[in-house]
Amino acid sequence: MNKILRDELQSVFGAVRITTPENTRVIINAKKDTVLPLLRFLKEKGYQHLALISCVDWIEAQELEMVYILSAYLGSDHAFSDKEQTNVILKTRISRENPEFQTVIPVFQNAEPYERELHELYGIRFKNHPRLVPLFLDREYSIPPFRKDFDTRRYVKEVFDQVPFVEKEAEKV
Amino acid sequence: MRELDLYFGPQHLGMVGNFSITLRAEGDRILKATANPGYLHRGFEKLMEYRKWIQNFPMVCRINVVEPDSMEMVYAMAVESLAGIEVPERAQYIRSIYLELARVGSHLFGLWAYANMLGFDTVAQWAMYHRDLILDLFEELTGGRVYHIYIWPGGVRRDFPNGFKDKIVETLHTIGGCVPEYDSAFFHNRLFADRAKDVGKITQDRAKEMGATGQVLRATGMPYDIRKVAPYAAYDRVPWEVPIREKGDAYSRIWVVRDEMIESVHMIFKLLDNMPEGEVYNRIPNPFKWKIPAGETYVRCESSRGELGLYLVSNGEDKPYRVHFRTPSYPHGLIVLEDVLKNASIADVGNTMISLYVVAPEIDR
Repeated sequence: MNKILRDELQSVFGAVRITTPENTRVIINAKKDTVLPLLRFLKEKGYQHLALISCVDWIEAQELEMVYILSAYLGSDHAFSDKEQTNVILKTRISRENPEFQTVIPVFQNAEPYERELHELYGIRFKNHPRLVPLFLDREYSIPPFRKDFDTRRYVKEVFDQVPFVEKEAEKV
Repeated sequence: MRELDLYFGPQHLGMVGNFSITLRAEGDRILKATANPGYLHRGFEKLMEYRKWIQNFPMVCRINVVEPDSMEMVYAMAVESLAGIEVPERAQYIRSIYLELARVGSHLFGLWAYANMLGFDTVAQWAMYHRDLILDLFEELTGGRVYHIYIWPGGVRRDFPNGFKDKIVETLHTIGGCVPEYDSAFFHNRLFADRAKDVGKITQDRAKEMGATGQVLRATGMPYDIRKVAPYAAYDRVPWEVPIREKGDAYSRIWVVRDEMIESVHMIFKLLDNMPEGEVYNRIPNPFKWKIPAGETYVRCESSRGELGLYLVSNGEDKPYRVHFRTPSYPHGLIVLEDVLKNASIADVGNTMISLYVVAPEIDR
C-alpha cells in the first residue's frame, strides 16, 4: 500500500523526499510551494482526515517546520485495511525571520483553528486566512510564546513578580 | 427582529468546564456562534519542553481532567516509539483493562453531565455514584482517585494487587446490574427522545470534512475507532464490536456512549479471562539521565472522546523538543460546535455542546 503511494507521489511530484520509518508512517519532505497540491493529491487518494497541523521551531537552522498529519477514514464498505493504519506526515520548512505561509483551508476546512493557533503561538502569518485572531491568549507578547527563544520562566519572573505580595501590602497599611 | 449578542459561559448551568460561546441571536434563533477557548490554557506543551521525559507524566494527565488515563497512554506510547522500548504482554492486557475502566468512568461522567443538563437529576446522581465505584478501583490500584500516573514507558507501574480481578468483576456487575434501570429511567424515556432527537444533527460527509472522530463520527454510521483501525495495547487480542448509530444527532451520540460502556465492560471480562502471567514492565534506563535518540513520532489512541494523537519530537536530549497533542475535543469544540449551532435555538446550546462531548481543558491544553 505504502509502496504504491510512494511511487505515485514520486511520479507526480518529482522533488519530494519520502521516508517510511515504520510500516504505518510515511514522511514526506516537500518544498513549500508544493504543499497545497500535495495535500490536494493526498486527499484525492483517500487521506481525507487532517488530524493535526503542527510546527517545530528549529532555532539553530533559523527555520520553522510546518507539519501536516493526515490519515484515512473508513471506506463505504467499513472494512479495516492497511490504509487507515497509515499516517502520512507532510513537512516543509519556512523562514523563521519572515514566517509567512499559505493557508490550507481551501483543501481542508478543519485547518482553520490549527492555523489560528500557530499564528498565535509561533507568529506565522497565513495568507488569505479568514479569521486570524487570537485563540487562547489575552496578552501581547514581543516573541511568540512557543518559540524556542521565549523563556517561560524569565517571562513569569518579569511579569508576575511585579505584582506585590498581599502580605507585603498589608504590612504597609 | 433585533439581533443580540449573547454570552454563553464560562459560568453557566448548561456549560461543563471553562469554555464560552458568543451567540449572535435573533429572537430564539442563533445566527452565528463563536467558540471562545483559552480559559484553561496553561501552556502544557511548552512547559513539557522544560522537564525530563519521565517528569512529564504528572503533567500530561492534567490535560484531560475527566479521562487522564489515555493521556498517559499516548505519551507512554510516543516515548516507547522514540526510544524503542518493548512492553511485556501482561502489561498490554493491564493497560487495556485500565483504559477501558477509565472509559466507562469517563462515559458515566459524560452521562452525568448530559442527564443533569436535561433535568434528569436522579439518573445523573446514579451515574456519578457508579463513576465513584470505578474511582475506588483506581484508588486501590494506584493510590490516586483522579490522576493515576500508572502507565509508564515499558509497561505499568505495578501489577494488580491480590484479589483485584474479583473486585473489578464485582464492581462491573454492580454497575451492569443497573443498566435496565438506566434504560427505563433515561434511555427509553420519551422525554429524552423528544429533547435529543434531531438536535445538533450532522451528516457523515460534514463530519468527515470537519475532522470529527469518536462518538460524533460513529453516531453518523461510520465504525471509525482507533482501537480497531490501528490496534494498540491488547485490543486486537479479544473480539469486540464498534457500536454505531445512523442519525448523527444528539440522541444517537448518547446512545453510542451507552452502547460503548456496555461493550467496554464485556471487553474487560474477556481481557481478564485471557490475561497471561509474567512481568508488567521492562526496565528503562535511569530516568534522570535518560536521553532519547533524535527523531519524531506521531502516535494515536482512542480516548473516550475520539482520536487522541501526539506528535513528539526529540533532538537527542533528556527533554522533549516539541510536544503537540491532537485532542478530540479540539475539532469538536471549535469547528463542529460552531457549525451545528447555526440556526439552532438557544435552548439547544447546552444540549448540543454536551452531546458533542467537549471537555474544555483538552482544547486549551
